[in-house]
Amino acid sequence: MRMLEHVYLIPLIPLVASFIILLAAPEDPHSPMPLVGIAAIGWCLIQSVAIFYGAVIGSIHIPYQMDWSWFSFGATIGGKPFLYDMPIGVLIDGAAVVMLVVVCLVSFLVQVYSLGYMHGDPHFKRYYAYLSFFTAAMLGLVVSSNLLVTFCCWELVGFSSYILIGFWFERAEPAYAAKKAFITTKLGDLGLYVALLLIFSLVGSFQIPQIAQFVAQGYMPAGAATAIGLGLLCGAAGKSAQFPLFIWLPDAMEGPTPVSALIHAATMVAAGIYLVAKCYFIYAASPIAMFAVAWAGALTALLAATMAVVCYDIKRVLAFSTVSQLGFMMCALGCWGYTAGLFHLTTHAAFKALLFLCAGSVIHAVHTNDMRQMGNLSKKMPFTALATFVGTCAITGIPFLSGWYSKDMILEQVYEYDPHLFFILALSAVLTAFYMFRLVFLTFTGTERDLERYRHAHESPWTMTVPLGILAALSIFSGAYLSHNHLFERLVHFDPPAGLMPRMNVAPPGLGGIVFAAVACAILFSYRLYGRHDFRLAEDLKRRLAPVFNLLERRYYLDDSFLALVDLGDRTAKMAFWIDSEVIDRIFVDGWDLLAQLAAQLGQLFDALFIDRMVDETGGLSVSVGGALRWLIRRGMIQEYLLWTAAVLSTLAFLIAWR
Amino acid sequence: MNILSIITFLPLVGALVILALPKEKERSVQIVALLCSGLSLILSGALFFFFNRQTADMQFVERMPWIPSINVQYFLGVDGLSYPLILLTTLMTFVSLIASLNIKNRIKEYFFWFLILEVGMLGVFASLDLVLFYVFWEITLVPMYFLIGIWGGPKKEYAAIKFFLYTLTGSVFMLLGILAVYFKSSPHTFDLLILLQSHPTWERSFQILIFLAFYLGFAVKVPAFPFHTWLPLAHVEAPTAVSVVLAAVLLKMGVYGIMRVSYGMLPLGFQWFLPYLVIIAVINIIYGALCAMAQTDMKKMVAYSSINHMGYCLLGIAGLTVTGFSGAVLEMVNHGLITGALFLLVGVIYDRTHTRDIGAFGGLAAKVPVYAGLMSLACFASLGLPGLAGFWGELLCFIGAFPRWKLYTGVSVIGLLVTTAFFLRMLEKVFLGPLNEKWKDLADVDARELCALLPLVALTIYLGIYPKPALDLINATVGHMAGLFK
Repeated sequence: MRMLEHVYLIPLIPLVASFIILLAAPEDPHSPMPLVGIAAIGWCLIQSVAIFYGAVIGSIHIPYQMDWSWFSFGATIGGKPFLYDMPIGVLIDGAAVVMLVVVCLVSFLVQVYSLGYMHGDPHFKRYYAYLSFFTAAMLGLVVSSNLLVTFCCWELVGFSSYILIGFWFERAEPAYAAKKAFITTKLGDLGLYVALLLIFSLVGSFQIPQIAQFVAQGYMPAGAATAIGLGLLCGAAGKSAQFPLFIWLPDAMEGPTPVSALIHAATMVAAGIYLVAKCYFIYAASPIAMFAVAWAGALTALLAATMAVVCYDIKRVLAFSTVSQLGFMMCALGCWGYTAGLFHLTTHAAFKALLFLCAGSVIHAVHTNDMRQMGNLSKKMPFTALATFVGTCAITGIPFLSGWYSKDMILEQVYEYDPHLFFILALSAVLTAFYMFRLVFLTFTGTERDLERYRHAHESPWTMTVPLGILAALSIFSGAYLSHNHLFERLVHFDPPAGLMPRMNVAPPGLGGIVFAAVACAILFSYRLYGRHDFRLAEDLKRRLAPVFNLLERRYYLDDSFLALVDLGDRTAKMAFWIDSEVIDRIFVDGWDLLAQLAAQLGQLFDALFIDRMVDETGGLSVSVGGALRWLIRRGMIQEYLLWTAAVLSTLAFLIAWR
Repeated sequence: MNILSIITFLPLVGALVILALPKEKERSVQIVALLCSGLSLILSGALFFFFNRQTADMQFVERMPWIPSINVQYFLGVDGLSYPLILLTTLMTFVSLIASLNIKNRIKEYFFWFLILEVGMLGVFASLDLVLFYVFWEITLVPMYFLIGIWGGPKKEYAAIKFFLYTLTGSVFMLLGILAVYFKSSPHTFDLLILLQSHPTWERSFQILIFLAFYLGFAVKVPAFPFHTWLPLAHVEAPTAVSVVLAAVLLKMGVYGIMRVSYGMLPLGFQWFLPYLVIIAVINIIYGALCAMAQTDMKKMVAYSSINHMGYCLLGIAGLTVTGFSGAVLEMVNHGLITGALFLLVGVIYDRTHTRDIGAFGGLAAKVPVYAGLMSLACFASLGLPGLAGFWGELLCFIGAFPRWKLYTGVSVIGLLVTTAFFLRMLEKVFLGPLNEKWKDLADVDARELCALLPLVALTIYLGIYPKPALDLINATVGHMAGLFK
């Protein structure tokens, strides 16, 4: 129990570390300050693992909640005014325990890895400050017991993402990508914002347990639950790159590769999934919102997988793959697969971080992202190749690797809920196998297509390979470990209110086998197209299916739609400004003149009116008051005022000029 | 003499001393100005520890007859609505004076007018007698006219006269309103506290009429659509420090007036106007943000973003809830700090490059990292990043308005997106990307600029993480205010 008393330190320590790194020492490519960040996150990792272990063996009780008073403001709910005491606090449930380990572990490994990857960068120190800040915000998001605090951290991780995507801001592309990412996610956040307003206007609290209780007691109207659920989904779709807001994620690959691994693969993009899971009780109260989650996830999974098939940029393939896998998780959540979705989140974090760091290792060696300029790199960097292969097998769902357990769990769950969704996901899984092995073949096997780059390629230093090794081991064993004795399910589960679970189909036995057979075919097909020395068949296929390829390469024209939207915004802005300067200002500049003259006349009218009245009332008023008033008014206040102002002004002006 | 009088008139003392100093003693002029406004700041800061947070009553009250024949009083007092604004005023004036130390021509007059301006602003927030209120209100007008008209940019005369005419016409209507309530009340009085109690006897049509008169006066200052077009021009032409005070304090006089006078004194008129007020708020928010997005001049962009932010205040007020009122007051303070910082920062780069065209820069972050960091911080604060002050004011305004105006509030959040878009675009074009070789010798912020900026930045962060000190000042008063309706 003692362990949890100080759980609030887990987000605070990286935060402090971040500011120490940023402010304490001058900028230096070989600064020792990164060690501060690594030490901080190392401590968090130890704590998180201890909490996880304690929760598994049952020595600590979850959910654990602790709140502190933060500030208070007046509020009115249902006509009753009260002083709302906004708390800030921690709520550690099973999902949070798992997320803590995931975030701390990946952060730690990425920070170690970055020692090698970012070595000698002129902003080496600042990079670590940003990474620590991100980690702090993300951990805050995970542990917070207050939905508003979660939202704050949510925005702060978005901000960290902005500064890290734009880390190499001297080039135009990262700067643009950073802006695009922030604005696109902000678009989704508007929905989340409104959802928060709605929640507070109904419940009068942002505390998650209180909201849950409110829902459980049936006070939440179904319509409101749906609206809140959809609003939260908007936010989640932005951050977790779901359809149609995923357009920012491929561009986000302009950031340093370890950042892509940490933020845009393993942790931040999972925040949307985590948010939906955190507010699952709201979705449980609204079938429509649940349905929307499921379909948003399924569509995302399929569309992203198809786009990955035609992509040649190694990081963008992985980015699309991330989007697709997040779709899997989202879909699972939408099909009452709370445990399945979060399980996949956990295993995915390991193997996707692994894949990204491998990609980073490759890019570090050949200085390009384009897979067409790679090939046969397994000779030069065998360890990276092996690690990539492990990650690929895990994501593809080769039996007994981590991805197999979680993906199987999702597919089964989804089939039980809705077979249509199952087919979409199964197709996505097949595509996943195809494009992932395409990546492996293009990068590591075949002939070296760019001799210059090939000659300079080398295996990465130990700071980079050791994290790869650890992540590879996790990609292999974590699934088996977590599903042993239903360990994960015992830790992370959602108990639906009685009678709310829909009627389920029963998954036929051997479902997983059929899917695996299809996946195996996809791998073979991928080998046939890309695994040998010539790609004639692939090129041929590409020519024949040109319209489809084109559509996929243009990302279903979603980017163009986004740009059109931006353009529309610009045009509206220009129009608004035109109206402002040419219409409204004109009316008022010309009209104001007129009005000012009118006002002067009105003053005289007023004069007359009140003088008349004054004459009528004189009897009732004391003579002195009446006299003073008459004196004031008869002379006309407005003219009087102007005169007075002018007099004072000229006196002052005179005085100044005189000196 | 009471503490509020000392705070209010210390700058006047300074102004008179400056008047007596010879023109050549520029350093002394600056020292006197900083000393007096600094003292005023310290004293108003000291009130923070004596301010009773549990009561909605007026505190530090000072009352004496001024023109007994027509029952005009010298009546000062503060509560949770006005005290934060007084603190904001003294702080922002002091900061602006620091920023003004680089003024080179007609130094004596400049500091003289600036101190007179401070007297007017403090008086508006402190006075509880309508005549006194009006006098202070008008006092702010004159120094502003000169500050823009003499030390402004190329079109300064036009900007100054436009500002003057707009505000003057507005305040003429306000004066009519003041006279009308005076004659309506019996016995005739200008005492705001008495007038706040007397509305139940006033018929609705009267309240509506008078509300409109007051509203014209206040709306010009806010500025509420469609009376806002003087603002961008005045900001663009005004010198940096004047822009800071204009945005940080003068605009708040309008919102303050609506909350203090229109709402409390004329509830029926206010209620009648409510549906229009919320629409005006939404227009201010979205239209203001859109206009800001269309700008290529940084200063004009920030000016339009002020219109957007004042829209949040109006929205909060239109919610007629205690949360909305808290939000409006908090947003006034936060907007003052943040937009003040933004104007200072725009001034910093204008001083060095003599351009504010967003497109003229590029990649400056590599050259002036401290400046880039401060500007980013101010921009993110203004667009409402949690952890920085701007977020809380906006949030409370939205929470406060939401129960009554679900649709309007829902639409207003689009303003948050547009704000994000134009600030990020500005940051991208000015600071990121390849360095524009033209500015390769640009110098980073100097000590004077840092002195002016750091208090604002520090407060923005502090109130962003811990808004409690500000909210505690506000809570009791707005709770009482919101209780008027029911």
